[in-house]
Amino acid sequence: MNIRCFQRNFSAALPPLVPLQLPSPMETHLWYILPDEVKSVALLNQYSELLSPCERENVNRMCGDQLKKRALLARALVRTTIARYQMNCEINPRSLKFRKNIYGKPEVEWQNEDNFSPLPLHFNISHTTSMIACGVTVNVPIGIDVEEKQRRIKNNITAFAQRYFSPYEVKLLTAISDPEVQCQEFIKLWTLKEAYVKALGKGFSAVPFKTFTIQFRAPAIRNLHPPGISVSEASEEIVESSNDPTNLTNNWQLALLEVAGSHYAAICMERDKTVGGEANMPMKLTVRKTIPFVEDVCVSGTDAVLALGGIIEQ
Amino acid sequence: MASTTGASLKFTSLSSSFKQTQVPLRGVSNVNSVSFPSLRMRPGSLRFRVSCAAKPETVNKVCEIVRKQLALPDDSSVTGESKFSTLGADSLDTVEIVMGLEEEFGISVEEESAQSISTVQDAADLIEKLMDKNCA
Repeated sequence: MNIRCFQRNFSAALPPLVPLQLPSPMETHLWYILPDEVKSVALLNQYSELLSPCERENVNRMCGDQLKKRALLARALVRTTIARYQMNCEINPRSLKFRKNIYGKPEVEWQNEDNFSPLPLHFNISHTTSMIACGVTVNVPIGIDVEEKQRRIKNNITAFAQRYFSPYEVKLLTAISDPEVQCQEFIKLWTLKEAYVKALGKGFSAVPFKTFTIQFRAPAIRNLHPPGISVSEASEEIVESSNDPTNLTNNWQLALLEVAGSHYAAICMERDKTVGGEANMPMKLTVRKTIPFVEDVCVSGTDAVLALGGIIEQ
Repeated sequence: MASTTGASLKFTSLSSSFKQTQVPLRGVSNVNSVSFPSLRMRPGSLRFRVSCAAKPETVNKVCEIVRKQLALPDDSSVTGESKFSTLGADSLDTVEIVMGLEEEFGISVEEESAQSISTVQDAADLIEKLMDKNCA
């Protein structure tokens, strides 16, 4: 084995990250940190050592301690998460390089080195005040968005929806009379739409939310299963057939979760047609709560992860 | 879970020098003391103020709306130079801020224009441009 693999440039005090198998095709690994649980200044300083000088500068530009901490944890989460998957040779999270696509979506810039093979790994992060999440897939793009369940929308929701959502979605939202439920449904829709445009790699500015419709489908089987979620070109009519060419669900798989009892998390990944990714195949999902270098807890299948929509297998 | 010697450590601003303390982490002792050079904030890029830059009252109003939307603490500084991203605004916040500005100033902001706003000053300038158009 190449001795160079074992060079470590970072502080010897950091225990190694537990290495992991890459997600399989049609599988998502979702990692999240709860910033409030990370209180150790020494640990934060060690995370800071993992960042590039440019990233540290960006962190420092954030206004106030809380925002700086969040920005720091986000970068630390991305670097440590990706580093875990390099199994045959330990990868230093600090040595990862990143770049952005033309729309600004970050991606790994794999280096050409002998002792290091690029991974067909895709990732996407999202953060709110109280949670930072990173989703990882192989071969296909992924987009995620997390949002606090209790987030208050300051503007009138109907006006907001009319401005930004598709006609079908507006109709759905305005039909909800309970303002709290309406707010929660709005947030769920928002996260799903964000996850979709982020998976596309284009983001909010390049793919106006009005141009596509997200729909919860009634479950085909008993109500034990959460409804599937479809995405289609915005139109007045409800799209029923999955053979419909305007039904983007043939290409994109969506899931909605409630995480840690406090957040909605939406995941969107491209279907991997090479492995027969048909419309009804479940998204395999493994969710882990982490404090990098300190603890990782798999929370899939526990109360911490509730499937609210999409065909998911935990 | 690893913890540092609890009570005495408070999270200090990251802009101060990163002096590593001799704190054992998970039983591994001895960390060489490393201090980072103190990281100064890069000075904001200088902008040439052309005569059509927004009035201070407009900028202040925008600051007020931004503070409210982002629930910023009273002592936090929001000025024309402040970037929405560094104030912690996500895409939902940005959209809410734009809608708040539209309501406050009686204007309508197109998506392309909204995307070009990155600082408070940008927003104020756009607002005045749109208001002038309204009155034209």
